Amino acid sequence: MANESLYERIGGEAAVDAAVDVFYRKVLSDERIAHHFEDVEMDVQREKQKAFLTFAFGGPSRYAGSSMRQAHARLKLSERDFDAVMEHLGATLQALNVPAPLIQEAAGIALSVKNDVLNR
Amino acid sequence: MISFEGLRFDLLPEETVLEGIERHGGSLPAFCRQGVCQTCLVKARRGAVPAAAQKGLKDGQRGQSLFLACLCRPTQDLEVERLGSSEAFDARVERVEYLNEHVLRVYVSAPPGMSYRAGQFIQLVREDGLMRPYSIASLPGGSIELHVALLPGGVMSQWLRGAAGADVAVRGPFGECFYVPEEPERPLCLAGTGTGLSPLLGVVRAALAAGHRGPIRLYHGSPRHEGLYLWRELLELARTTPQLELTGSVLEPGEAEVPRPGASAASAQRARLRVGPIDDAVLSEGRSVEQDRVYLCGALDVVRKLQKKLYLAGVPLARIHADPFVAPGARA
Repeated sequence: MANESLYERIGGEAAVDAAVDVFYRKVLSDERIAHHFEDVEMDVQREKQKAFLTFAFGGPSRYAGSSMRQAHARLKLSERDFDAVMEHLGATLQALNVPAPLIQEAAGIALSVKNDVLNR
Repeated sequence: MISFEGLRFDLLPEETVLEGIERHGGSLPAFCRQGVCQTCLVKARRGAVPAAAQKGLKDGQRGQSLFLACLCRPTQDLEVERLGSSEAFDARVERVEYLNEHVLRVYVSAPPGMSYRAGQFIQLVREDGLMRPYSIASLPGGSIELHVALLPGGVMSQWLRGAAGADVAVRGPFGECFYVPEEPERPLCLAGTGTGLSPLLGVVRAALAAGHRGPIRLYHGSPRHEGLYLWRELLELARTTPQLELTGSVLEPGEAEVPRPGASAASAQRARLRVGPIDDAVLSEGRSVEQDRVYLCGALDVVRKLQKKLYLAGVPLARIHADPFVAPGARA
């Protein structure tokens, strides 16, 4: 149906569950950004990845711009860090055979918090 | 404004609830002071708890407004309550023996009424209130066996050397490092450094007692051979337990005479000593670990590294029981 939300079209919570380990493993394996994830409890971090994916999929999420800003401020992230995560988001969805237009929608939502994440 | 057991005070900027309580003469059991050991777990009776103070807690604990006092820098008023669940049981140190120069095996009487599972940990409390966490190597039903690393200047461990016969208290049990009996076929992978072996041995004993049928791989790591403090006993266990594969992992060969696995033909196939980091040993030879249930105990950096590597190798985080040991944190 045309008025279904992205979250519904992409597969909802099941899609998040399918994506989270694919995504988190890609992020952890990426030497460009892996150092940001050291010294963090992995169970907690995985929950955060789920929250992020839920947000990017247009789902019910408590992620707001202000909390994104707060959560990432001390990390002093660069544009390249952000791009690397975007790359993994796209690759994850491709690996799960999500149609390209939906991937673009999700990427658009993720991009909307870029300034908050980069604290600018 | 923070209230706790009759104290009412404001926190200084950047001060944690734990530090505030201590600054005002109150006391809470605390150990690592960095949110790992969860010794300072308390409850918010009133007020909002910052999410950062619930790091690593289970959903159920979050739901009960439990939080870690050492991580909590609240932005609103908070009424803090000590947990009733940390019930203390009377116990006695029954026997103390040296496993090697640096490790004690301590037997504590099992308090009637305290139910626990091998591999969980308890807080051992001396009469003056000094408290330290130790993991349980033994099955329920007998005395509680603990392996205690003798730390230079370690107040509790040094005292335990001569503590046979002493009255103590035991709080707990805590933690989720225990055997899961619902999966008797699943391969178990257990890796630990130093006295991290204690809970792992507990899990192995529980698995064998429950009739576990899947393979069990046990890795004990230490800088040197001398640190494999239970090696002879483990070799014997491997000799009589066909499903157990044993690896001693050392960073450099020591000078002590260590029985070589090959010396006993029966266990030669299933026991080996290996030089190199323990994470290399666990993931060596492109072994498939995806189906394993994993238990990791001991040094924090080793546990974190192994947890990450095993997760990347395909083990779901929910099947990795990580129980890092941390040294007591410095008081601010």
